[in-house]
Amino acid sequence: MIARIAILGGAALALLSLPLWADAGARSTLIILCYHAAIAQMWNLLAGYAGLVTFGQQLYIGLGAYTLAIASERLGLGIWPSFALAAAVCGLLALPIGALTFRLRGGYFAVGSWVVAEIFRLLFGNWAYVGFASGMFIRAARRVDPWVIYYASVGLAGGACALVVALLRSRAGLALMAVRDGEEAAAGLGVDVWRVKLFAFAVAAAGTGLAAALTAVQTPFIQPNAAFSIQWVAAASFMAVVGGLGTVEGPLIGAAIYVLVQQQLGGSGAVNLIVLGTTSVAVMLIAPRGIAGLVHERLGWTLFPVARRPSDRAQQLRTKSIPP
Amino acid sequence: MELVQTLVNGVLLGGLYGLIGLGLSINFGIMRLVHLAHGELVVLGAYFLVVGLVPLGLPPLVAAAVVVPAMFVVGWALQRFIIQRALGRGVLPPLIVTFGLSMVMQNALLLWMTADARTLHTPLASAGAPLGGITVPLIRLVDFGVGLSCLAALLVLLGRTALGRALRATSDDPETARTMGIDTARMFAVAGGIAAALGGVAGMLLAATSTFYPSTGSEVLLIAFEVVVVGGLGSITGTFVGGILLAVAQLLGARFLGPSYALVAGHMVFLLVLLFRPQGLMPRTAPG
Repeated sequence: MIARIAILGGAALALLSLPLWADAGARSTLIILCYHAAIAQMWNLLAGYAGLVTFGQQLYIGLGAYTLAIASERLGLGIWPSFALAAAVCGLLALPIGALTFRLRGGYFAVGSWVVAEIFRLLFGNWAYVGFASGMFIRAARRVDPWVIYYASVGLAGGACALVVALLRSRAGLALMAVRDGEEAAAGLGVDVWRVKLFAFAVAAAGTGLAAALTAVQTPFIQPNAAFSIQWVAAASFMAVVGGLGTVEGPLIGAAIYVLVQQQLGGSGAVNLIVLGTTSVAVMLIAPRGIAGLVHERLGWTLFPVARRPSDRAQQLRTKSIPP
Repeated sequence: MELVQTLVNGVLLGGLYGLIGLGLSINFGIMRLVHLAHGELVVLGAYFLVVGLVPLGLPPLVAAAVVVPAMFVVGWALQRFIIQRALGRGVLPPLIVTFGLSMVMQNALLLWMTADARTLHTPLASAGAPLGGITVPLIRLVDFGVGLSCLAALLVLLGRTALGRALRATSDDPETARTMGIDTARMFAVAGGIAAALGGVAGMLLAATSTFYPSTGSEVLLIAFEVVVVGGLGSITGTFVGGILLAVAQLLGARFLGPSYALVAGHMVFLLVLLFRPQGLMPRTAPG
């Protein structure tokens, strides 16, 4: 417990006091790190906790970023209301999209979601209002102080982790993990499987949309082929798998590694993606629980405990009830 | 008449789409695997033909005789040494592993072959046979003929041979198949090889029919996927029919909405099927 408080408190202090001791380079690295961590955390919520492996989350990256761009550039809405709108649009659109794509199971759901994202990429590329495939600038975003963007992204990454922890400790989280571990069994215990999955799907979409809006403010330029690119999912799945799927700290570790690799291999996208792909495959085959999983296995320690253990009292009752 | 022309073009192109879907269908049918690198295997076959064999001056049929077994070996090895280790552990591992493989293959092709457009130059590509008031494009006629032949060969292989029986037994119930002396891992590797060999054939046709790039793999994967879902999971004949439906939809979309809507029209058919007939057109018919 003390180690946890020390680590989290130290990290929070370091991040919040950054303007006092770091430069613009460190700031922009951390902004990128934070929104990647949030995107990975949302992918982890689906794949690691809800059993919904999806290759279509780039849809909510594109929608979130475009909502911010259109609201602030075309409709004259302020930046912060545009953020809220991005989350709302993504969360609401996820409901009909989830309802439709949930008809596909397992791997087919994963690729079906990718198709839906593709449709939006093509439609945005044919849409004059947003500048076709050449995209649009978001001028309002340039007036935002970079330190404000920084604090927003730290808040976003922290918020994403807090959201997942709070969700998993709630009744809905318990239902979610039951669904992941066995849909029929969960349904048999009275869990409304479809509803629980749709809830998680909408929450993850809204969170991803919020992170996407931040990427748009940071860039501040948007293009359909980049915003709706499958590479977002390549990144998210890499971060979640390498860091440790189904753990809260995993995506944070994964995001740090991802940003480090990106900076080392900057320049050539192809080499970068070959390294990401090879690493994902190797980790999945050799250590499928990722770095956080290894730490937990070896040291029995987690930064964010969300697992439920039978209480001591329940243990005693169980031992007593077994006849000698 | 122009509409008839579009429909004929679509049906013929559908033979290629159906063939593209067959590989994915085999992977799903036998090992319940959604093989996300199947598109890259198709594109690999295309590059092997255009960059590796044609410059040597090999005639197309001889080149095909090299590509198909080579792709079988690639598919066999991928399944045997990599994908097999991810099976039986839930939904996620095979998806992450095949997606990783697709990323590696696509970007290795990009580094090695650059992003330049390639195509196979054949006299067939621009030739057409007049028929009534329309022209039958010969290359697409070849696409359809080869696609249909592959479907027929596959139906015979699965339905009438000892290997086919072993493959179907493995698909239906791996546990029982093992007790009957079938080496299921070996069967999976053979199925992976067959799927990749079909991908190689599709790749060669793709090279002769249109231009391709390293990134074409993703597009091919989504087409294969849609074709399989539209046709109905578990039916390879359905997959072939799904290919025709998707290709017709794409070409009608291009004709009535503009060329940039071809892919959208195909995706829309997929969504409509998902909405109104989620089991697909021809779900679960024997064999395979």
